[in-house]
Amino acid sequence: MSPNQSPRPTQQFTLCGRNRREFIWQAGGGFVGTALTYLLAQDGFFNQARANTPGKVSSLDPQPSHFAPKAKSCIFLFMYGGPSHMDLFDPKPELTKRDGQPMPNLENDPRFDAARTKGKPLLGSQWEFKKHGQSGIEISALFPKVAECVDDMAIIRSCHADSFAHGSGLLQMNTGMLRQGFPSLGSWVTYGLGTVNQNLPAYVVMLDHRGGPIGGAPNWGAGFMPAGFQGTQFRTSGDPIIDLSPRGGITRQQQRQQLDLLGQLDGMHAAEHPLDSEFGARLDSYELAFRMQQHAPEAVDLARETPQTLDAYGLNQVTTEKFGRRCLMARRLVERGVRFVQVYSGGGHLDENWDAHLGMKKNHELHCGETDQPIAALLNDLKQRGLLDETLVVWGGEFGRTPTSEGANKGRDHNPRGFTMWMAGGGINGGQTYGATDDFGYAAVEKPVHVHDLHATILHLMGMDHEALTYFHAGRDWRLTDVHGHVLSELIA
Amino acid sequence: MWPVPRLVSLFAFLALATFAVADEPYGRHQFDDSSRSHWSFKKLQRPAVPATSTRWGRNPIDAFVADGLTAAGLEPATPADRVTLLRRVYLDLIGLPPTPDEVAAFVSDSSETAFERVVDDLLSRPQYGQRWARHWLDVVRYAETNGYERDGAKPEAWKYRDWVINSLNGDLPYDEFVIQQLAGDEIEGSNADSQIATTMLRLGAWDDEPADPLVDRYDQLDDIVGTTSAALLGMTLRCARCHDHKFEPLTAKDYARWTAIFAPLARPQQGRTELTRDIGPHAEVAAHQTRTKQLDEQKATLVAQLQATSWQVVSAAATDGRLPIAQLAALGDQPAPATGVAVSDEIVQIAKEIPGGALTAATIEPDKRNDEQKKLIAEHNDKLLALTKVVAPGEKRTALDDLQKQLAAVQAAYPAPLPQGYIWFEKGPTTEVNHVFDRGDPRTPAGEVLPGVPAILVDEPPAAPQPTGHSTGRRLQLARWLVSPDHPLTARVMVNRLWQHHFGDGLVASENDFGVMGEPPANQPLLDWLASELVAGGWRMKRMHRMMVLSETYRMSSAAKRQAMQKDPTGALLWRFRPRRLEAEALRDTILAVTGQLNRKAGGPSVFPKISRAVLETQSVPGNGWTPSEPAEAQRRSVYIFVKRTLIVPELDVLDFPATEESCAQRIVSTVAPQALTLLNGEFMHEQSAAMASRLAREVGREDSARIERAYTLAFGRLPSENERTALLEFLDRQRGQIAADSPEEETVKSIDLKALTAMCLVILNTNEFAYLQ
Repeated sequence: MSPNQSPRPTQQFTLCGRNRREFIWQAGGGFVGTALTYLLAQDGFFNQARANTPGKVSSLDPQPSHFAPKAKSCIFLFMYGGPSHMDLFDPKPELTKRDGQPMPNLENDPRFDAARTKGKPLLGSQWEFKKHGQSGIEISALFPKVAECVDDMAIIRSCHADSFAHGSGLLQMNTGMLRQGFPSLGSWVTYGLGTVNQNLPAYVVMLDHRGGPIGGAPNWGAGFMPAGFQGTQFRTSGDPIIDLSPRGGITRQQQRQQLDLLGQLDGMHAAEHPLDSEFGARLDSYELAFRMQQHAPEAVDLARETPQTLDAYGLNQVTTEKFGRRCLMARRLVERGVRFVQVYSGGGHLDENWDAHLGMKKNHELHCGETDQPIAALLNDLKQRGLLDETLVVWGGEFGRTPTSEGANKGRDHNPRGFTMWMAGGGINGGQTYGATDDFGYAAVEKPVHVHDLHATILHLMGMDHEALTYFHAGRDWRLTDVHGHVLSELIA
Repeated sequence: MWPVPRLVSLFAFLALATFAVADEPYGRHQFDDSSRSHWSFKKLQRPAVPATSTRWGRNPIDAFVADGLTAAGLEPATPADRVTLLRRVYLDLIGLPPTPDEVAAFVSDSSETAFERVVDDLLSRPQYGQRWARHWLDVVRYAETNGYERDGAKPEAWKYRDWVINSLNGDLPYDEFVIQQLAGDEIEGSNADSQIATTMLRLGAWDDEPADPLVDRYDQLDDIVGTTSAALLGMTLRCARCHDHKFEPLTAKDYARWTAIFAPLARPQQGRTELTRDIGPHAEVAAHQTRTKQLDEQKATLVAQLQATSWQVVSAAATDGRLPIAQLAALGDQPAPATGVAVSDEIVQIAKEIPGGALTAATIEPDKRNDEQKKLIAEHNDKLLALTKVVAPGEKRTALDDLQKQLAAVQAAYPAPLPQGYIWFEKGPTTEVNHVFDRGDPRTPAGEVLPGVPAILVDEPPAAPQPTGHSTGRRLQLARWLVSPDHPLTARVMVNRLWQHHFGDGLVASENDFGVMGEPPANQPLLDWLASELVAGGWRMKRMHRMMVLSETYRMSSAAKRQAMQKDPTGALLWRFRPRRLEAEALRDTILAVTGQLNRKAGGPSVFPKISRAVLETQSVPGNGWTPSEPAEAQRRSVYIFVKRTLIVPELDVLDFPATEESCAQRIVSTVAPQALTLLNGEFMHEQSAAMASRLAREVGREDSARIERAYTLAFGRLPSENERTALLEFLDRQRGQIAADSPEEETVKSIDLKALTAMCLVILNTNEFAYLQ
């Protein structure tokens, strides 16, 4: 069976029926060619756009992309809490000039959230912006090392989203929808492309050491898709995957014997049911799990990395060690064919993440301090290894922050009307800014980019047409971008 | 004050009158022939049972099946062996395996009615409801939290789970089952129980901090529309929210009309906090609330009098120096009275325990106190009152005592609180005008609509609903329409669900979609006959279960034949019993039963099995909303596990526990490596295999062969074959050797032996034979 073809059972097809509700994490081609082929007919249908056409056994087999991809993998650096664009990537001299004054003209904005800004004074950035790189793009002093990579980055200054709250904001940035219950971006990518390494999960999520983001697992959930498409949480200490290792002192040799026994017993059982392939598939999933026990720890074992690399990612410094480790693991995972890696900076609540209500200075100095060096190291490392061209790196949070000040310590509130995200590598034409917010950084006014547009662009760079990547569920086809989304072609090299 | 509410209802009446003329006549005539003639939109008619030439079969179901098989040139499989059949019917009907004794009794009972007696016994057990309720909970997106940012708990939601279990165990007819869930507060004889049933409508996810409150309101209604139309009608009405359905004869107006049925529902909430409602017969609840209100008023009057009198005393004493407030307020924690405070020790002692702010507040006239002061007074009321009494003149002290006594009497007169339910409520018999919206956007109304049902299913619009004393009557009208005997969909949809859970797939394999895009029925005469039987049998579901599992079709072997497999690979024509994996709950419960750890306690608030730290770390506040239950409680049946939308118990989650955001008709069956990791290495499996090993050692002693036999009898209801026995014996030897070799320290023979036995049990609990119903 060629990688471009997917198995499906020979069952009755109707024009628009349902999938057989089965999902098999295929064991590296292990059971294709065995008794299973009796049931699984070959089918070239999926040379077209991937869609869970009726009767299809969804799997993690590699799927053909819609067109030649620019990026094979994506690393999404998620700055949970909402980083402040006007203190990082979106300089606002006018804002600084009017520091302390009220913000003008907002009452005319129909979506102006008075409770969050009204009567609060404008707050200029406390950090200096300087031009960097050949492109001369201005970046604040909070990100000195990231700034050095600016020629690889396309900085989108005109992002906007629909929610003022973390919960639905996170859901939208991750799933495109404000409502819970939809597949996340990584799930769509995995569904669309499958995986080239069956011994590792296709979609990995690494959470912050302080906790998960608000809303937890639905942020990397598969929604209405099979659970096999959901993100697998990788941890930076202990077993990378939950329940990866045998418990209670059982050694690998002992577990090997146990799996051999399982194989014997299931084999005798299967002999009585030679035509039922699902029994074989289930047994194969145990062998895959056994292999995963070997491959997953290797994938995240940093002992093989040079001291220079560890140093570059900041693993020898307390501030950068945790996020640096996650970034380095992310590189190792994409090297091994993992499609989608999401790395969180920030967990829990308030100053444990980028949610700088209580003061910009304390909050952003902490989180920029933790992430600046590792992010720069990741970009440089990928570049050095020739991986940046095929790895899309995305940076951003669920929204940005208000130009107005909040509280006694000069914090800022949530602001989805305008914020910055950037992308690098994976087909991105670096060294450019895209779009703009108003003079205060409140709302995206020039070439506004909605979350759907970001998603459409990410899928595009990975070789998928966001309008053709559909999943049939509950009476209709669903898309990551719903009925919206435009590819930002100006960003693409 | 009566003119105000009257004015409101007058407006509401006018509004209703306006839109009563605004909606146009509608009905199936709007659609073309091909839509109208779709099989499931046509009235249910009872087909004749086919006369078959074969001798195969026991009841009419078999005649319909045989007819289908003959037409396809297929033959039914031979009957399953007795052990397989017994395990099948146990797992299917009660979700637990038969005990070795039950197997032995059945195998040795050669009477013709042996199986029938087993079935009747199982249907009468409380475990039947515990098993089958879960199927329904999938359909109504049951969960006990709201999801989203805070994932707040839905208080008392578990009562609905118990209501479903009890309804099934009591064989509540399906028409009643529907009526109560839609309109248990609107029916005659409405009571606490029937009101709990309406919790179904409030089980959806809810964002307590919505991005757009207006859209959120319609999202909440959309959840109800989606759930009720999929669950009861088997229609994808939700797809018509923004525009006419692209594939079905369902219009945006149909959607808006169905939405209007539920639009009067209001959510009891205080900001982000969810509230429950008093439940019980309306008259009782009303009387209770009237009485409570009276008492509240009396109480408020007395409290005001008490405050006023206290203030008079305190302010007088403050003025004449008997209560030097500033000095007393400054007392703080000083060990001895400050010098110069010329008051009694008694006053000092009491005042020391009152914060200065509260003392100061007591000198302010009650009406002029700010919120902070009111709060301080309320918090320190007892002490302040004691202090007041010390300085009160005789007649005031008597007045204070008297007021206190009256207050105590009022307090004692309060009736016991009513039971609470997690339900919506309607504000009255009338409500606002409802609209259809352009592109589903609630900011762009595009015409008024009346509550109604999909046009394709009716000849003309339904009559206007009859309001009850306290609600619009819209839901009750919908419920009555749904359960009318010749309704084209209700009985078909439900009987199809019963069939689905007995046979793996529904006769219509898209169980929530009977529309033109749904799967065509594999055997429509059989489906229609069963649906007619459901109605004719008074909508009793146990009767239908009995008929289905007593059929020869159900008793067939699951062995596949090559020729049949080629002709009908999915087995939709029912030439054999199709094997299927147990759902997460049934697998977990079966494991607990086999290891002897199952706690069979029924009902009550949900339980919280231990979740590993690593999983809890995915929460923004690890462990929030998940306080583990005592081990014995945690080992209750899985239907009693708390369903937290953002944190599903891993043993269930990994085995395809359904998404709880919308109705789930049929669970996905995925086979992925993480399942194997959880089932091999997870803490639950580790504990259960150890428990099973101890059980074996305790029950049959040290002889390997006897342990293997016991393990097989417990797990599979049968003895091992010779090959299996040999494999297991060899494994135990090998494993013991390996454990000894791997042990860093000297280990006792007994400890090594128990570990090897535990490993054997772990393998048995992981086998396909264990995990599959076949």
